[in-house]
Amino acid sequence: MNGHAILFRATFEKAVWLLKRYLFNTVMMVVGMYLLFALLFFGGRMMAPTVVSDSTEALVVGYLVWMMAVRAYQQTSSDVTREAQWGTLEQLHLSPYGIGRVVLFTSVVNVLVTLLIGGVILGSMVVTTRTALAIDLVTIVPVAVLTILPVVGVGLCFGGLALLYKRVGQAASLMQLGFIVFLAMPLDAHPLLRFVPLSLGTALLEEAMATGTRLWEFPVPDLLTLLAVAVLYLGGGYLVFKALATRARKRGVLGHY
Amino acid sequence: MEGNDFGSASAPAVRVTDLTKVYDAEDGEVTALDGISLEIERGTVVGILGPNGAGKTTLIKSILDLVRPTDGDVAVLGADVTAAGGELYRHVSAMLEGARNVYWRLSLRENLRYFTSLQGIDPDEVAEENLAFVESLGLTDKLDEPVNSLSRGMKQKATLACTLARRTDLVFLDEPTLGLDVEASAALVDTFREMVDRDEKTVVLSSHDMDVIEDLCDRVVVLNAGRVVVDDSVSALLDAFRTQSHRLRLAAPLDDVDRAAVAEVAESVSWSGTSDAVELTVTLEAPDDYYRLMRTLESAGATIERAETTTPDLESVFLRVTDRADPPTDELAVGGQR
Repeated sequence: MNGHAILFRATFEKAVWLLKRYLFNTVMMVVGMYLLFALLFFGGRMMAPTVVSDSTEALVVGYLVWMMAVRAYQQTSSDVTREAQWGTLEQLHLSPYGIGRVVLFTSVVNVLVTLLIGGVILGSMVVTTRTALAIDLVTIVPVAVLTILPVVGVGLCFGGLALLYKRVGQAASLMQLGFIVFLAMPLDAHPLLRFVPLSLGTALLEEAMATGTRLWEFPVPDLLTLLAVAVLYLGGGYLVFKALATRARKRGVLGHY
Repeated sequence: MEGNDFGSASAPAVRVTDLTKVYDAEDGEVTALDGISLEIERGTVVGILGPNGAGKTTLIKSILDLVRPTDGDVAVLGADVTAAGGELYRHVSAMLEGARNVYWRLSLRENLRYFTSLQGIDPDEVAEENLAFVESLGLTDKLDEPVNSLSRGMKQKATLACTLARRTDLVFLDEPTLGLDVEASAALVDTFREMVDRDEKTVVLSSHDMDVIEDLCDRVVVLNAGRVVVDDSVSALLDAFRTQSHRLRLAAPLDDVDRAAVAEVAESVSWSGTSDAVELTVTLEAPDDYYRLMRTLESAGATIERAETTTPDLESVFLRVTDRADPPTDELAVGGQR
């Protein structure tokens, strides 16, 4: 087993151990996410029954993507602060793989865990709304991963800023509102939106789940754009994080919190 | 094994040259390190002593490339740390914040597994060796308990186990006994001693606790205000001061004029005693001053009932050195190595 595989396995194991140790927190998080959706769905149906009935698929997919994006983003940006508070951040830097790769691997594991939680929430939403959605994992999983990765890149930028400025929670929270804008604005009206996180991926996921479109049936330019946006944002976020980590070492504040 | 061609086989474990670190602070700049140069030979145990704010942690973190210096160079095993990248950490590990360097919510077994993996070593392949670390630290029956539930001393031992699990040639221990009571500190020192005796590691240890340094280190570097004020072996440092501190018992008290004459000779003097006898403890600037002291007492007509050289501990030496070294000047270096 090579070193990177060992590190990835350990990162995954650590995430699972911590989820188990914070089990109550984990369960409450999933329940809370479901309750928020139930509130939106039943509340919306009471106030505007036709609108909600006509756009249930969009509501389910939109909420699923937003929920997964927010979790993956929050975990990525707040992991750095948590490790600093625990006193383990500098230990991560003392790895032959460097803090950049350790944090990147942690972010990828966060995405995987988020997909599992997303699966549970999706199942609950389908049962609650009695909506018939096409859930083809071969299509949904890769599109969902590519949809969320740009957000992880943004999270890495905020994680890097947290190395320098420590308290970036308010700014990081504002970014979550931006995600709603990216999700809600119609892609056709604003073609440039396909280059911001979440927009194109959400549209493809909605199409896949509402009409049963398979991965290979999507236009190739759309898939390539989705892939390019994921790589660019994630890669950019990684480079920004590494640059900010170097800046934090120059200032001598890497392990501070 | 990766990283065998790292640096140079003949280079010292650590070489620090003209290291300066200036931090930006709200009220101006703060110089944490002010042109420090030193070398640490392979296989030695070196203690770094200094009062708060002396620059101990900044020095260690600069060697670990956790802090980038403003000026100067740091080489570990002959390799420049700022250019070495991750390869540096195949050779260097550190216990930086005592017990806080491990995950308290995870068990010791889980922590060991994680930190071994963080080094790129498959924990399954070294499981028995890791258990041996744990056994040598007396933590075998605590392996599956969350670190959070362990006593502070055990937490620090758990952190040490995770540091050792990285299997590096150089180990840095920054204030490893901080916050421990005397008993726990002594137990941890015993553990360090076994580790140092058993493994041929280069260990750099910073501490406020002089006993820890005295017990473990071959050599001590004293920092004050970002400069090296002493760099010598622990035994030479203690010897240098041992010959200069004396306790004398006189048969009768001296009058004020004779006391003033003694005070002229001594760097410092303290008097105690009764109407029958008097005891004085003198510290002399140089060993030859002992003869001047004897002549002064002879002139005063004093009868010396007992004379002994006092044994200073590192703490009193440290206090005197750092007190005299503010502001630091060249002639303050003890042992002549700066």
